[in-house]
Order: sequence, then structure tokens, then C-alpha cells
Amino acid sequence: MFPTLAVLRTSVTDFDPTLPGRAKHGDEQAFIKIVEFYYPRCLRFARNMLGSEQDAEEAVQDTFVRVHDSFPRFREDARFDPWLFRILANRCRTLMARNRRHRSVIEYGDVPQTATAEHEIGADWAEEVRVVLDTLPAEQREAFLLRHVEDLSYEDISAMTGAGLSALRMRVKRACDALRARLTDGSKDDRRIG
Amino acid sequence: MIEESDELIVRAARALSGMPPTKAGAVARVLMAVRANQARPLPFWKRAMRRFDETSVSAKAAGLLMAASLVIGFFARGTVGNARDSFAGGSELSGTALQSIANMPAESRPVPVAVAVELANAKTVAVVGDFNGWDPSVTPMQRVGKDGPWSATVLAKPGRHTYAFMVDGATLVADPRAPRAKSSDFDGDASVMMVRTP
Repeated sequence: MFPTLAVLRTSVTDFDPTLPGRAKHGDEQAFIKIVEFYYPRCLRFARNMLGSEQDAEEAVQDTFVRVHDSFPRFREDARFDPWLFRILANRCRTLMARNRRHRSVIEYGDVPQTATAEHEIGADWAEEVRVVLDTLPAEQREAFLLRHVEDLSYEDISAMTGAGLSALRMRVKRACDALRARLTDGSKDDRRIG
Repeated sequence: MIEESDELIVRAARALSGMPPTKAGAVARVLMAVRANQARPLPFWKRAMRRFDETSVSAKAAGLLMAASLVIGFFARGTVGNARDSFAGGSELSGTALQSIANMPAESRPVPVAVAVELANAKTVAVVGDFNGWDPSVTPMQRVGKDGPWSATVLAKPGRHTYAFMVDGATLVADPRAPRAKSSDFDGDASVMMVRTP
């Protein structure tokens, strides 16, 4: 039995679910607590999506500005995570669109076959995974991160992105296939996975 | 159903799951940006969106019906080929939120501009440009009919604007009907629209 992905889940037990509703009604302290709680998680997603610390910080900052702006439109009976990550994912897409460096990886098409570069050799496992992740089409990278790293359900991701459940499952599968192929191919050296 | 989890994927996901260190003052900088944004006067369309959000459901329904009638009327005039022409009938957009348009000087008054594009295989399309911060979440386009063109209306001040279409949330496509020009916000082939003073 493979280890469960539950071990990766971010604990939300200490997040007060009343905070979004209070922030919506103008409670600034509630908003500050939301930023403090979600900032690291948002930064993790943005960094994994954008591959750049600086771009990630910009995306996260823009996201919270927009969250604050958009709280009047937040439905209190809705879950906060998908709503927040929808805004964050949109900010990441916008940054990718505006960033010439990432232009080549937001196009559709087959995943490039030459992912292993010399600079990967000797890099740690996390960095190696990021390098491979960065070669994936943006929609696959986004779906993989939301599902397997942020632990959102397919239903939540579907609501966020507007993509159908089948399409999302296919994106995640393709991302996993590509990761599996590259990382396995590039990691005959056991220290990468062992 | 596709089940994609295995040991390697779990290890990869775990490698990406580490929380990056939060730099000192990062949260404070976010809060400062939020406050700075609050202090800045919001552009008209954002204020309109907020007011729209605070209106009752029935008022929203009426507004949506009015917007739908504008889109239908636009296509009924057979002007898909001139999709960047601005609406002349701004007075048709009644409502408190739009009243402030009439109070603005004509040269800076945002003008509703209809945009349309045919992208047969797209699942989602949004128009992005300097008028909406190149944000694909601001102006999603609606498909006319099952296989028809995609359309949306943007608010843009009179003058020159650059724009493009975000297809399926990932690919930027220039408007095939519009002239193109380099844009600092885009990768050299943004489309250009000229919005006339109403």
C-alpha cells in the first residue's frame, strides 16, 4: 500500500472558519489572521506554479489585495479555500501570461522530451521535481498542484477553474505520467527517491 | 476513474509541499498593499461591480437581462465583423452604478466596447487588456449559441488600448480582425483597439 496523500495535507484544524465571514463584514483583525494563516500556503502554490520566488510574492500580494476587494462578493456559505485559490490561480495565470520567460510553457502541446539537464544532476529531490514540474503545461501543473499538494477535491478544482471533472482527472493523470516518466528516467540514481 | 497516486507521485508531492519560509515583514507588506489599495480611488468599473454586487437578486436579474438584450441586439445588427465598435447608446445602461458615467467628462468617460472572436475549439475565453489589468478573471467571454463566436463587453476609456484573448486559461491569442502592435504588457503581438469619445 502506498503512503496516503493525507500525510501531505495542511492542517486546517486551527483555522477559525468564522474568519472569512467576519472579514467580509469589515473585521480587519479577521482579515489579518486570514493573511497570516494562508500566506505560506499561497506562497507555496505560487512558487510551484511560477518557479520564481519574486513572482510568487507578487502574485500572493496581489491575491490578498483582490481578496480584500472582493470580500463583498464572497458567499458566507461557500468554502473559503477554493475561493481564495481561484483568485490566486488567476493571478498566477496573469503573471505567466505577462512574463515572457514563461511563455513557452503555457502553450498547449506535448511535454518536451528533454527535461533532464546537466544542472539537475546533484540537485536535491525537491529541486529536481520542480524542474520537471516547470516543463509541464500550465494547466497540468496547476491541476497537479491543486490536487496533490493543496489537497483540494476535484469538485473544488472544477468549481475554481471551470474545467470538467473528467478533464481535470486527465490533466492530473498526464501530469503524473510525465512526472513519473521523467523522474524515473532521471533517477536511476537511487538517492533521488530513496 | 483514473487513480494517479503511487509512491513516486507521493514523494514528488511531498517534496513540493514544504512551506516556504515567510520573509520577515512579508505579511505586513501585504497588509500595507491592501491599505494602499483601499486609499486609492477605485476606477469606475470596480465601483460599479461593487454596487452591482450589493443590489438585490431581482435587480441583478434585471441588469443581466439588460446586458443580454444588448449583446443580442449587437449581433442582431450583424456587426460581428466590427466587434470593436463602441456602443453609442450608453444611456440604455440605466442604473445608479452607471449614472456616474454621465457625470464624467466625455474625454475620460469609459465606453462599453463589444468584443467578439471566433474560437471554435475553445472551452473558455476571456478578453484581457490594459483596460482590465490583463486579468483573465475580470472579463470572461460568453459563447453565442452552441458553436457561435465568443463575445463580451469591456469598459475602456477613449483612446488606444492593447488587448488579447486568453483561451482555456493558458494561451494568449491576438484578435485576428484587429491590427497588432507591441505592448509592454504582452509578448509583441497584442491587438489594438481605438475607442472613440462618445
